[in-house]
Amino acid sequence: MAEAKKSVGSDNAEDILTKIENKSLKIESLIKQYKFIEAIKTALEGYPPQDERCKFANWIGVHKALMAIKDVEGMLRSLDPQYYDILMKYVYRGLSTGNRTTCDQCLKIHEKLTEKAGFGCILRSLADTVNTV
Amino acid sequence: MRKWLVGCFLCCWLWIFLICSLAMQVLICRNEAEKCLIETSINSLRISLKVKQADELENILAKKFLRFLSMRAEAFQVLRRKPVQGYDISFLITNYHCEELQKQKLIDFIVQFMEDIDKEISELKMSVSTRGRLVATEFLKQF
Repeated sequence: MAEAKKSVGSDNAEDILTKIENKSLKIESLIKQYKFIEAIKTALEGYPPQDERCKFANWIGVHKALMAIKDVEGMLRSLDPQYYDILMKYVYRGLSTGNRTTCDQCLKIHEKLTEKAGFGCILRSLADTVNTV
Repeated sequence: MRKWLVGCFLCCWLWIFLICSLAMQVLICRNEAEKCLIETSINSLRISLKVKQADELENILAKKFLRFLSMRAEAFQVLRRKPVQGYDISFLITNYHCEELQKQKLIDFIVQFMEDIDKEISELKMSVSTRGRLVATEFLKQF
């Protein structure tokens, strides 16, 4: 019974990984068409499940979209406010990587996003231990 | 009696789970060499910093300077005597500090510390290089 449940769980994770990979390919094609706003919106939709592999696969797609952004202010102007909290979570994930280019880009986005969304956004993104990225 | 023991056991596990969910850490890196780790717990906060050390001389100067500050941790109140493993200096801010000291001033102090530390180490490095050059010039004059 427990083994049947485990195999269902791992199948579920495989399905989700496949969906995340498809999403990643969609993000790449949007970036190639210079549609950065659509790319970031696609990347930010939906929280990844608690599985570490899914989170990592999801982070790779979001990272590509974040690094492709040149005009941060323009991106934030056209982004819906409902995406601010989840974007802040990904920004903090980017800041924890330690990679110079990622951290530079994340610090730029963090500054503009804090100006736009305020300190509440930071607190909500850090305090949410249930929907982590 | 047995129900009471089971109840106590469950309470302990619930309490540990609650403590763990309150404790979290945030790592913020500027680049590979500079980072800040913020660890929270139920009544305190620990902020650990790793400062930029471009070469061997800066490494030694940073170590000596920050050790000098850490030895005088009582004067700072919020400074920790020993930095966290992997970092150069650590602050420990407890609820008592928040009650006795002004929170905004505390934040300003730590931000100012982070801004000034790089400047201090660069000035120390420059003064060491200047003195080294002077000593070498004087010594070589005799030849």
